[in-house]
Amino acid sequence: MLNYIWIGLIAIGILVAVGNDVNDEIRNTYRNGVPVEGTLVIDKSPGPMRKSWEGELVLTAEAFNAFYNVSTAKGEVRQPIVVTELSPGETVASLTLGAASPDRWKEMGKAAANRERLTGSVRSMVLGDDQKSARLQIIMEPIHYMKTKAVTQAALDYASTAVTIALGLIGIMALWLGVMKVADEAGLLKIVTRILTPITKRLFPEIPSDHPAVAAMIMNIAANMLGLSNAATPMGLKAMEELNKLNPKVGTATNAMVTFLAINTGGLILIPATAIAVRAAAGSANPGLIIGTSIFGAGCATVAGVVAAKILQRLPRYRKDFEPEAGKEVSRG
Amino acid sequence: MAEFFRALINAISILAIPFLLFIFLGWGIIKKVKVYSVFVEGAKEGFDTAVRIIPYLVAMLCAIGIFRASGAMELLTTVLAPVTNLIGMPPETLPMALMRPLSGSGSLGIMTELMKVHGPDSFIGILVSTMYGSSETTFYVLAVYFGSVQVKNTRHAVPAGLIADLFGMLGAVLICRIFFGI
Repeated sequence: MLNYIWIGLIAIGILVAVGNDVNDEIRNTYRNGVPVEGTLVIDKSPGPMRKSWEGELVLTAEAFNAFYNVSTAKGEVRQPIVVTELSPGETVASLTLGAASPDRWKEMGKAAANRERLTGSVRSMVLGDDQKSARLQIIMEPIHYMKTKAVTQAALDYASTAVTIALGLIGIMALWLGVMKVADEAGLLKIVTRILTPITKRLFPEIPSDHPAVAAMIMNIAANMLGLSNAATPMGLKAMEELNKLNPKVGTATNAMVTFLAINTGGLILIPATAIAVRAAAGSANPGLIIGTSIFGAGCATVAGVVAAKILQRLPRYRKDFEPEAGKEVSRG
Repeated sequence: MAEFFRALINAISILAIPFLLFIFLGWGIIKKVKVYSVFVEGAKEGFDTAVRIIPYLVAMLCAIGIFRASGAMELLTTVLAPVTNLIGMPPETLPMALMRPLSGSGSLGIMTELMKVHGPDSFIGILVSTMYGSSETTFYVLAVYFGSVQVKNTRHAVPAGLIADLFGMLGAVLICRIFFGI
């Protein structure tokens, strides 16, 4: 199943990206080659050395929306801009993008060479009588294949993110695996395991109830519930390693592994600290309001996950992985 | 009551790690375990485990990255909108439901954005933060956990994980509608 989902994500991603780009080309979403018209409100007029004007490019929301055929600009667009005359007849404009810039321009900025800046060539500039403002016509730098480029960038970025995440785990992994080893040698894990045997026996009937895997799973689930994700991952990986020692067919997930992961993906947590922090930062009157609802939601997820794992493991297509095969080895990706 | 519970849990989550370290290592001393050398021996495995995960994580995150960057999410949202209207889920929160199993940082971004637009105490704000707390990043968990033991045939883990996510999201919508419903 993971096979299909994996290739599905990649194939859909690439096809949709190319489709979006073709669509953008046909509709000319980014108005390549078409001049946008606005008023330049001048803050700083050209000095003796350099012929450049600094100020703001002002467009009404209606003009902006009509030009790009969108409805996102709500108020008047006021965009910091520098217009520089490089030589007679060649004038360029550089728009410094910020949080207040219109969404469409921010989007276009991402595709440009310099992410914070949009450039274009000035087609005409008519200064007002008072030299304080001018009518500007700018042809923006053309933008092509935006989504395809974004897909390429994402693939490269995420590959290095994956390595960063894995390397970041080394230290915490070492710490907790060391502590777990001490607890194991001291016989502490056996005590923890014995207390919870009635529950773990039901959930993982295949695992002997005094096996070290049980202790590691309990520690992992407890750490997850307390929101100690730093401690939970090493313990969970330790549990997987122990479960794998009982695996007759290395490389294939056992029922116990799947049940354990279903509990993990349910993500039952007593205090959803991240969500609460974001709510507080957004100025909520009661950030902790969602504790109860989150526990309910995660409870639903966990119960559904465990029940699904238990039901699915009985299906012939998943059962046959661990049935003794008559003579021939069936290998599945 | 809720306030007390929250303070209690908060204290536990702060004290848990020092407390665990103290108990585990202290117990080891009492049982005459050579704590230092045993610790180091256990810690050695940390490097191998972390490095073993890399290929699995690269495969998974790249696929998710490509999917996210392509704009396929917006397309999927449009296609699924009629279904969510049926169960009384605001269409704005649909990207959250779709992103949650795929990417932790992605869903965090969606949650932050929706709260900024609609306010954290609006129905959408409450629902989206409940949804965030109602599930884990399934595909990340699968890649890391199975990667650490080199499992390639994951059998029914993906369907079970996705069923968990689906029910987590439905549970979040249900409970939010009951308590904060419109």
